[in-house]
Amino acid sequence: MSDRISRSSDAQDADFLRLIFESATDFAVFAQDKSGNVIRWNVGAQRLLGFTEAEILGRDGDVIFTPEDRAAGAPEQERVKASSTGRSENERWHQRKDGSRFWGSGILMPLRTGDGYVKIMRDRTAQHAAELELKESEARFRLLATSIPQLVFRSHWDGSRTWGSPQWEVYAGLSNLESQGFGWLEAVHPDDRELTLARWREAQSSGEYYVEHRIRRAADGEYRWHQTRAKPAGTTPADWVGTSADVHDMRSLQDRQQILLSELQHRTRNLLALVQAIARQTLKTSTSLAEFGRQFEHRLAAMSRVQGILARTNHGPVDLREIVAAELAAHGAADLAQVEGPTASLAPNAAQAIALALHELATNAVKYGALRQSSGKLAIGWHTRQSQNENRVVLQWRESGVSIPDAPGGKRKGYGTELIERALPYQLNAITSLEFTSDGVRCTVDLPLESPT
Amino acid sequence: MRPAEALRGRQVLIVEDEYFLAEDLAAYFHGVGAHVVGPAGTVADALRLVESREVDAAVLDVNLRGQHVYSVADLLQKKAVPFVFASGYGGELEPAAYADVPRCIKPVDFPTLAAVLADRMKPGKH
Repeated sequence: MSDRISRSSDAQDADFLRLIFESATDFAVFAQDKSGNVIRWNVGAQRLLGFTEAEILGRDGDVIFTPEDRAAGAPEQERVKASSTGRSENERWHQRKDGSRFWGSGILMPLRTGDGYVKIMRDRTAQHAAELELKESEARFRLLATSIPQLVFRSHWDGSRTWGSPQWEVYAGLSNLESQGFGWLEAVHPDDRELTLARWREAQSSGEYYVEHRIRRAADGEYRWHQTRAKPAGTTPADWVGTSADVHDMRSLQDRQQILLSELQHRTRNLLALVQAIARQTLKTSTSLAEFGRQFEHRLAAMSRVQGILARTNHGPVDLREIVAAELAAHGAADLAQVEGPTASLAPNAAQAIALALHELATNAVKYGALRQSSGKLAIGWHTRQSQNENRVVLQWRESGVSIPDAPGGKRKGYGTELIERALPYQLNAITSLEFTSDGVRCTVDLPLESPT
Repeated sequence: MRPAEALRGRQVLIVEDEYFLAEDLAAYFHGVGAHVVGPAGTVADALRLVESREVDAAVLDVNLRGQHVYSVADLLQKKAVPFVFASGYGGELEPAAYADVPRCIKPVDFPTLAAVLADRMKPGKH
């Protein structure tokens, strides 16, 4: 190409250049002499700057600079640079004849003759505005991305990462460089990596990425559950922007709620099973439907009382005194019995069983014993003791001054007796004794206290 | 085969920490001709029985005085003894290892429990 040009005549060259000069209407092309006066001015220059060739020829070409730039010596600086390096490229605001401004991108070159300069310039106002807008939007994105608690990232459509917010770098302990491509997977729990990648493949068709996975918190090495979402949001559809939000505590709460719900169901079902067992036992020892109805109702009432107490302690330990007081009150004997003992915490299941046992003893006392006869006395006392490595409480029920004409008979070998003699040892690891003496009922229950956890 | 026949003469271990429930279960299984092993109310007692006695089948309550029965279940699985869970838990929190163990939710209907256990004892089921 250069060979052919070098072989062409000077006249051809001049014609060639003149045609370019005249037809390049999208470009302002003009020449200035060394002092800045315009010596050439094309149609493009007239279109862009508003001056006709006649108006501007011989005049100072620097009028196209803004007054600020002229005051700052910008035109002179451009010329100095062009002279010393052969060219000076500049992008800046310029001013038209009518004072309106545009963003001009131009190049200034010294004429080979050394007596002036040529400038080629075009209007890039629209592109400049778009670039500014992009920069601002980029700045807004960075501000948002770096100020929210979520870990923000940018990636390609396949999940290969191009950028991670500073929060990501700190949280995962991986620099942007280390996270590049699929380096970020290092912070994802090994068991969740396959799912994490599979979801990226699926995201191609759904247009949206979503996964719940564990991300390692570098500060303490804990893998915490995160919800990660991403959408195409960059300058091209292949650019995705996403966030990872820590949902670990929320998930833990949900898990705990599930456990609580399960526990609640467990309690309810066990309670129903217990009610069923009590019904069967009561049925076995009842001689009539009326008797069954009365006894079953009273036993359910006793269950209900202890459930009420357990509800108040949120199924935590219960003080023995509270159970004793509730049973005595229910039998109208709150002021008739002598009650003495220290604080003694019972586990919920023990509290329930002891309440039922006390109910049987009190019912018997109201029917036949100390709570029926005015001469009768009832003392309920307890003390704690240490046995091997557990704390136990010894509860004693003492009736006295009771005259029971009949010898203690088989008719009292009912539910209450089996509960105290058999069920308490079986269920609570209790040691029990129950005697129907001629002076009244004596019962001792020695059982473990709630072990502090 | 009716459940009663499948269980007749078999050694059935009952693990349940609620006394009256354990007694009622024992009475029911006794009634259908089974020999009752236990009942056991603690994990330790149940383990002792499985190790020392011949057991053909078992009914396991899951929570025994706050302790899980799973060590007993593991031992039974090792010995290829069929068993069912009888529990207030719905199985939501159960270890995956017992996913195929049948579960009767309390309050348990005894004939249903016996039928599930008998089905479990069919050859090739376990």
